[in-house]
Amino acid sequence: MAVVDVHRFAESITCHAWSPDLSMVALCPNNTEVHIYKSLSQDHWERLHVLQKHDQIVSGIDWSSKSNKIVTVSHDRNSYVWSLEGAEWVPTLVILRLNRAALCVQWSPKENKFAVGSGAKTVCICYYEQENNWWVSKLIRKRHESSVTSVAWHPNNVLLATTSTDGKCRVFSTFIKGVDTKDSKAGSPAETKFGEQILQLDLSYSWAFGVKWSPSGNTLAYVGHSSMIYFVDDVGPSPLAQSVAFRDLPLRDVLFISEKMVIGVGYDSNPMVFAADDTGIWSFIRYIGEKKAASSGSSYSSQFSEAFGKFYGSQSKSTTANDASDSRGGVHDNSITSIVPLGKGGSPKVMRFSTSGLDGKIAIWDLENMQQELGNQF
Amino acid sequence: MANSLRLYLACIKNTLEAAMCLQNFPCQEVERHNKPEVELKTSPELLLNPVLICRNEAEKCLIETSINSLRISLKVKQADELENILTKKFLRFLSMRAEAFQVLRRKPVQGYDISFLITNYHCEEMQKQKLIDFIIQFMEDIEKEIRDLKESVNTRGRLVATEFLKQFM
Repeated sequence: MAVVDVHRFAESITCHAWSPDLSMVALCPNNTEVHIYKSLSQDHWERLHVLQKHDQIVSGIDWSSKSNKIVTVSHDRNSYVWSLEGAEWVPTLVILRLNRAALCVQWSPKENKFAVGSGAKTVCICYYEQENNWWVSKLIRKRHESSVTSVAWHPNNVLLATTSTDGKCRVFSTFIKGVDTKDSKAGSPAETKFGEQILQLDLSYSWAFGVKWSPSGNTLAYVGHSSMIYFVDDVGPSPLAQSVAFRDLPLRDVLFISEKMVIGVGYDSNPMVFAADDTGIWSFIRYIGEKKAASSGSSYSSQFSEAFGKFYGSQSKSTTANDASDSRGGVHDNSITSIVPLGKGGSPKVMRFSTSGLDGKIAIWDLENMQQELGNQF
Repeated sequence: MANSLRLYLACIKNTLEAAMCLQNFPCQEVERHNKPEVELKTSPELLLNPVLICRNEAEKCLIETSINSLRISLKVKQADELENILTKKFLRFLSMRAEAFQVLRRKPVQGYDISFLITNYHCEEMQKQKLIDFIIQFMEDIEKEIRDLKESVNTRGRLVATEFLKQFM
């Protein structure tokens, strides 16, 4: 069992983020508030703060690890940056210039700007203006055909990957004069203008979610709603794309735990492990939690009932299938919506991560004792 | 006959399990709104292909899926005119009490007898597996209920005819 801690905070959790020292967690209990909990002891949490500024459901939270700022976005198309002043979190309104809901948010690696994906089919890149003492945003316009469902920063702090409900994954340059320095340009010599589209991936035929870069920035992974996960190696002028189809329900989010291993979470309520072998071929390895008895049980019992029905006609019962479907097992009872790494951002491997789902639980997973099971892909 | 019903329900159950992957998704057309996209159909990329599951020509189930909502429409078997009337009355009786069912739509989809509308809020409040089991159980019970209603109408018809013909003995 890889899970080391499970706690139920609310009826439902839309998103969560951890503090830099991993002692506090900020989560949204599927309403307009953001609750900050502190772990007092094992399985005992105390609610320290309630951040109440949004009018509608908070859809994204990110907690920066160096500057200790929390950015929240909401369906009311507003965003706030919360700073700790004394014992209180003080909000600063971000001028997003959106006319639809904001869906996701992420700090850049250097934490001098953050990206907001929205239902207005645009991405906002927000940065702090020192002279005016506020956060301003620049929009990447007219590039997406539908809502932007997730954003991911490249480690070089300039490239941004986005996924959209039109099924496409795009990579943009987000170079901002005055915020980014010139030497960042060495990574991408051709395009340096803000909002320039560098890459567009058309691998998915359904909605795309959960884009992430690998720790080195060489590989990109995102998921489609058709129970597919896509890996793009050597992101650049000629990328190598792979599609991996799995047999269960779709995924919502992914996390790179090393260069060659990815954890996917989604509607199956159970994290999945995908890994690349030595030749670079990605494939599904296994589930992390307990293997669900529902799918195998129901298929086995239905086959048995079918064979039984051939002998005895209409006398066969269907109670076995119903019993099999009731036993779900696993840590989460509802779908998992987000996965967050736990640990220092500098290390290339992530051994611990946390997942939160619609059942209101946050589970902390540790892969330390699963290394031999998962093989040497680490 | 019972075998085909069980296969029909098993197919619907598996399809619903795959279709009921819903998430909270605010409206792309109107700001600060959150509407079931399967009803509005304003953004075609947010809809998935509808799935029509038929047991025979008269008995079918249409499942329409979008990113945050799911619509299930049922057509119940009606072998004769009496079953037509009974089905119409009984399902209208249920539809007028849609508030108590929570996932029942007030008005059936055109061409179908009864419709359910499941949104991401229902998937958050209730267990997804229990929702699917409820719909499967509902389909079984509807068929049984209409059969029982038909038998009771026939029984009462026979009793009334017997009493009427007694005056001629």
